[in-house]
This record gives sequence, structure tokens and C-alpha cells, in this order.
Amino acid sequence: MLGKIFGILCLLSLLAGILNGNAPQLGSAVLDGAGQAVEVLLSLGGMLCFWGGMMNVWKEAGAIQGLSRLLSPLLRRIFPVAAAKGEGLEEISANLSANLLGMGNAATPMGLAAMEKLQRQNPHPEKASAEQITLVVMNTAAFSLLPTNLLALRRAAGSASPYAVMGPIWIASLVCTLLAILLCRLFGAASQNPSGAGKKP
Amino acid sequence: MIESLSALLLPTVVALTGALMLFGKKDYFGAFTKGAREGLRTTVQLLPTLTALMVAISMLNACGIVETVAELLGPAADRIGLPAELLPLLITRPFSGSAATATYTQLLEQVGADSLPGLCASVIFGSSDTVVYIASVYFSAVGVRRTRYCFPVAVAIMLFCVFFSCFLCRIWFF
Repeated sequence: MLGKIFGILCLLSLLAGILNGNAPQLGSAVLDGAGQAVEVLLSLGGMLCFWGGMMNVWKEAGAIQGLSRLLSPLLRRIFPVAAAKGEGLEEISANLSANLLGMGNAATPMGLAAMEKLQRQNPHPEKASAEQITLVVMNTAAFSLLPTNLLALRRAAGSASPYAVMGPIWIASLVCTLLAILLCRLFGAASQNPSGAGKKP
Repeated sequence: MIESLSALLLPTVVALTGALMLFGKKDYFGAFTKGAREGLRTTVQLLPTLTALMVAISMLNACGIVETVAELLGPAADRIGLPAELLPLLITRPFSGSAATATYTQLLEQVGADSLPGLCASVIFGSSDTVVYIASVYFSAVGVRRTRYCFPVAVAIMLFCVFFSCFLCRIWFF
């Protein structure tokens, strides 16, 4: 899938670049992009190490287990396999709570830790498991109680009431997150049955 | 008030963890370095995917397709209840957080943060995320190649979210 996205993006860009007369910029864009990847990775890597370490401390102290016990009535329904295996729910609850509190930077490392736990339960390591997909889609729906980034940008743009959008944002995020869970459940069930019957997926 | 409180959230969390290391009985710093080492492993795992993705995104930003598509589809978007000014934001949002932030800032400057397009853009910006980027990072970190229905579902939800946000803004603010 990533290969397809890469192919489509590059072909479209080349075509549009030639048509728009932006061909010269494309060459430097290729060079910049590869450099940017390392820059992004350096800042992301610092975060991954730091918050990965932090999370391990909270685990050692039992804080994450508490959090996950708090959320488990909900998470059990969304991630039944992880709940049955007793592994991964802690990371998932840490990831979703970090998102909820608007700590986006801390949420990614925890989400990746959760993905690794889910990967251990994945019978086909090459293929995404239903629960991995649910976790990713829930993360892309971005349910946050306090999008600080956005509020700061609105204030900087001279908004008279930066907070006015909070209500609609909560409603939209909530609806999208519920829709995400629902759709993932439907697709997961639909794709599970034929392969469960012994057919090669 | 809320903004300054939330600015304190991260430092507080970190300081509390520090207090745990200071007063706790267990080897919490050992736990920290162990977790951080895991993070390092994930980082290395991400580099190959990220180079491809960032080159593609960089080309997409440089080729001017965003402006072209926005110009072409603008009238049609207006007709289905989507302010035409939103299109650049909608195109960049799934791929790159920094590009989307830049287009969002430009948009607010052009139309005003409290106009209908500005409000719609804010709700969309707040209730969606960089779908392609997140999915790529999450899956490549664990070595999953076949992502099955993930992208179609995530993109469908984002599209729904865009229309729903605009609809919501219309009945909420006007």
C-alpha cells in the first residue's frame, strides 16, 4: 500500500510540476525530502526514546496498569483479542489518554509501543491485524480534549474567540471516532470470515 | 487560563516522574533507560519508510498541484457546501502536519479566523490528523506491509469528517 501511495504521489508531482512549470523545484525537492526525513526522524527519535522511557517508569510504578483498569470496560469491547491475551491494553490506554489530553508528541511513542504488543499477537506478521487497524484509525481520528496547537494558531491569527470552535471540534471528533470504531469492526468482521474458513487471504 | 494550564501539563508529568525517581524505592532510572532503548530501536526501524514518504511529500509540495487542484475543484466544492478556500488544507492535511499547519495559518490570514471558512478549517484541523503519515509510521514501525482496509477506512472517515465539520459550523455559528 505504501508503495502505491509513493508511486501515485511521485507521478502526480512530476506531471503537475511539468505542467505548472515547476520542474526545476522538483529536483531540489527530492534532495530536500530525503534530508527532511532524517531531520524528522531525529526529532521523532528523541521523542520516541524519551517517552518510551517515561512510559516504562510509569509501568514500573503501576500507574499505567491503573489507567488501563480504568479504561478497560471500554477497551475490552474495542480490542477483544488484546484483552483476551492480556497484553497491549496498557499501551493502548496510555496512547489514547495522551491523545485525549493533547499530548500529541507523547502519544506517538505509546501508540508505537502498543503496535508492537499487538504485532506479537498477529498471526500474519506481514499483514495488519484487525486490532492494529482499529488503533491506527482511532489515532487518525485525533480525538483531543484540548488541541493546544490549534488554539495557539487561532490566537496568533487574531481570532476574537479562539475557543469558540471547541464545541464543534469535540462533537466532530467524537462522531468520527465512533464511526472509526464501527467501520473497523464491520470491515474486520467481513474480512475475517472467509480467511477463517481456511481460504488463503 | 486553560492554555497556560495545558502548557504546564507536560512539564508536570515529567517532573512527577522525576519525583518518582527521587523518592521511589525501585530502580526507576533503569526502567527509563530500558524503555528509551526500545524507542531507539523503533526509530531505526522507521528511517527507510520515512525517507520515501518525505521525498514524496516534498515533491508534492514543490510541484504546485495543490494550487492547481484547488483552482479546478473550487467551484464544484462550493456547490456541495465546502468553502473553496478549504481545498489546499484538505489536500495537505493527510500527508504532512507541518504543511497543513502552514496552509491553515495562511488560510486564517486570508479569510479571518472567525469567518465561516476559517471556522470550518479550524474544526477540520482539530478533528482530523495526518492519516497517511500516521498509518505509515505505525505500520512500518512493526514491519507490517499489507495494511488491508486501513487506508480506505481512514480516508473515508476523514472525508466524512470534513463534510460533517462544515455542516456543524453552519448550524453552530450562523
